[in-house]
Amino acid sequence: MTNKKSQSRNVFAGSTKLLLCCFFIAAVIIPLIRMLFNLKDADVAGILSSGATVTALINSLAVSLTATIIAIIIAAIAAYCITRCDIKLRGLFSICILLPMLIPSISHGMGYIILFGSNGRLSKLLGLTSGLYGFWGIVIGSVMYAFPVAYLMISDILKYEDSTPYEAAAVLGIPKLRRFTAITFPYMRKPMISVIFATFTMIVTDYGVPLMVGGMYKTLPVIIYEEVIGRQDFAKGSVLGVVLLIPAVAAFLADIFCKGDKRGGAVSRPFTPKKGVLKTIFSHLYLLMISVCVVYPIVSFAELTFSKYYPNDMSFTTAHIESTMRKGAGEYLVNSLIIAFSVAVIGVVISFMCAYLTARVPGRGTSFLHLMSIISLAIPGIVLGLSYVLTFKGTPIYKTLIILIIANTIHFFSSPYLMIYNSMAKLNPNLESVGQTLGIGRFRLIKDVVIPQTKSTLAEMFSYFFVNSMMTISAVAFLAVGDTKPVALLIPQFEALMLLESSAFVSLIILAVNLLMKAFIYMLKHMASKRARVN
Amino acid sequence: MEILRVTNLTKKFGERTALDNVSFSVEDGEFLSILGPSGCGKTTLLRILIGLLGADSGTVTERGEDITNAPSDKRKMGIVFQNYALFENMTVLKNVEYAMKFRPELKSGARDRARELIDQVGLAEHMNKYPSELSGGQQQRVAIARTLALKPDIILFDEPMSALDVATRLSLRRELKDIQKNSGTTMIYITHDQEEAFAMSDRIMVMGEARIHQLDTPDNILDAPADDYVREFVIDNLKAKIESLAKYMRN
Repeated sequence: MTNKKSQSRNVFAGSTKLLLCCFFIAAVIIPLIRMLFNLKDADVAGILSSGATVTALINSLAVSLTATIIAIIIAAIAAYCITRCDIKLRGLFSICILLPMLIPSISHGMGYIILFGSNGRLSKLLGLTSGLYGFWGIVIGSVMYAFPVAYLMISDILKYEDSTPYEAAAVLGIPKLRRFTAITFPYMRKPMISVIFATFTMIVTDYGVPLMVGGMYKTLPVIIYEEVIGRQDFAKGSVLGVVLLIPAVAAFLADIFCKGDKRGGAVSRPFTPKKGVLKTIFSHLYLLMISVCVVYPIVSFAELTFSKYYPNDMSFTTAHIESTMRKGAGEYLVNSLIIAFSVAVIGVVISFMCAYLTARVPGRGTSFLHLMSIISLAIPGIVLGLSYVLTFKGTPIYKTLIILIIANTIHFFSSPYLMIYNSMAKLNPNLESVGQTLGIGRFRLIKDVVIPQTKSTLAEMFSYFFVNSMMTISAVAFLAVGDTKPVALLIPQFEALMLLESSAFVSLIILAVNLLMKAFIYMLKHMASKRARVN
Repeated sequence: MEILRVTNLTKKFGERTALDNVSFSVEDGEFLSILGPSGCGKTTLLRILIGLLGADSGTVTERGEDITNAPSDKRKMGIVFQNYALFENMTVLKNVEYAMKFRPELKSGARDRARELIDQVGLAEHMNKYPSELSGGQQQRVAIARTLALKPDIILFDEPMSALDVATRLSLRRELKDIQKNSGTTMIYITHDQEEAFAMSDRIMVMGEARIHQLDTPDNILDAPADDYVREFVIDNLKAKIESLAKYMRN
């Protein structure tokens, strides 16, 4: 392009692109390289071949594989019931299933202890005096934590599947089993690989559940946590962190590979839920069972919080709340709110800018910026946190809320980025050309056309950043100090002091804040769509 | 009177030549069709004319003034795209009114002018609807009204009817000719449809492989095709269409 005005437009877009790339290099690439450099001080071979590491690695794999399989089976059946069966109260069931996504993984571990621990209600009921710790404890806790995410992804896949091939097959008289192997299976295969890898990564990199319920059964993230937090052994932490990067990077590559040939069917018809008495009864029972399993631990948080001495004396008290507040829960909650709100604002602004540049402004640097924007999918939070400690120790932002805000923004960046990227890619490809020929500037067009058309996505992104920052314990675990600690980190702290009631109360606070945020966003979107209809 | 002159325009995308030394001129008030198969360079030419794309070499002048490097919005030209490219979040009225707000000379009467134009393209009763509530033909009418709003001297059309059904095309064709007659606007119309070009144009420019094969009135092209390409792409295709129709008419 040769004319002056569009030249200045392009210079501006180009320099913004450059600036964002520099931001990602400073906030992602340099910390990772810094962590890799740290390996040279470490006895890599020694650490990797030590008995404890090998055991932890095997434990991690065993637990994560088992939990992934179970979580996906549970999630797939639930998703099928919700999307393909004739369900009453569909909305209520899906809210129940998604509820676990609003509390930290460590709360799932705790909910598990409340029910199945040595003093747990269900272990007493089942006559288990010592409680169910170790392998099965981690598996069950991890399933609770990860299955809603798998459910969300699978129901998305099922929702957008085209029903016309099935109708054609039915007309042609192809047997049901063959329809499954010939239509469903090929359609589901690639997206399911993404789901499996994502679920596996989520479980294998989590330390919340195994820290709570693992006991002597230690997984890799727990060892990293203990080495870094407990022994300040950053060299060993880095070595294990690099090991933990492997499954995450593999999942990232698998995801890219599997999304490569997403086909957009020109004519796609959604399924109409089939009616069948047996099927309907089964699906209702199944969803009811899942909902009870999900809601019961959360109810038990409330019981624990408000009972004098759970489960022996269930009389009502606010004493636990008062003592938790005396221990500073209020101030830590304020920290969390500041962090979550800042991450949401900054995250939405930066991901919007990135997506605008990658989706709407073709040119040099676009694919690099896109890669930088999605790369955080490949970095477990615990590894990101560790690399930040190594890189930013001694800088002025260390030990402040700022570093926590940056770490969380990077950690949760890719999903919201992809949401807005997809929304922008769907906008008319000639929009900018129209603006240019009508004499409407780029920023005017963004303000008056692009933002209004993507505002519901922007609201979703805001809530994603906020909710995840409220409940994360991974990247922030190594970066938070005494007075910058977010409230979620009080859960393991209270638990270590045997103050389960306080941990339960903190979990409830986080759940309540996140529910409020979700409700707020829901109302906002509802009002916006209503207004659009009125106009 | 000559309104637009293109001289020795060349554009390459890497190894591929999209426009190879193209020269022609357009008369004021004329309806000129650029006819050619996909990939012949006609859309590239259009984008260079309106300044969405820069040329490698050659010049474009409008009423004698060199506009080769002028910004799109300073060219007194408008463009209508195949996929409408309306502002989905604005009503029909807002879509048409919006760009006028940024033009000092049009700002004051913007609302009234928008209503008038919408009425002119036959959408008065859909004034407050959103684009998603309209049919393809209606959306294209909004796009035309939006372009007319800025009072361009020349309107460029980039295959504006290829997404529409036959009946809509026929009625839109007539309306477009009416608009042209009433407003006297020069129109440059890209199409790959021979019949459309012959039905609407004062002159037709037949393009193939990055260059102009013939630029003349429909009659002259039919009487004296310039080369084999024009004979095959234009005349044979038209004949085939007429013959197949004639067969059915006889029955």
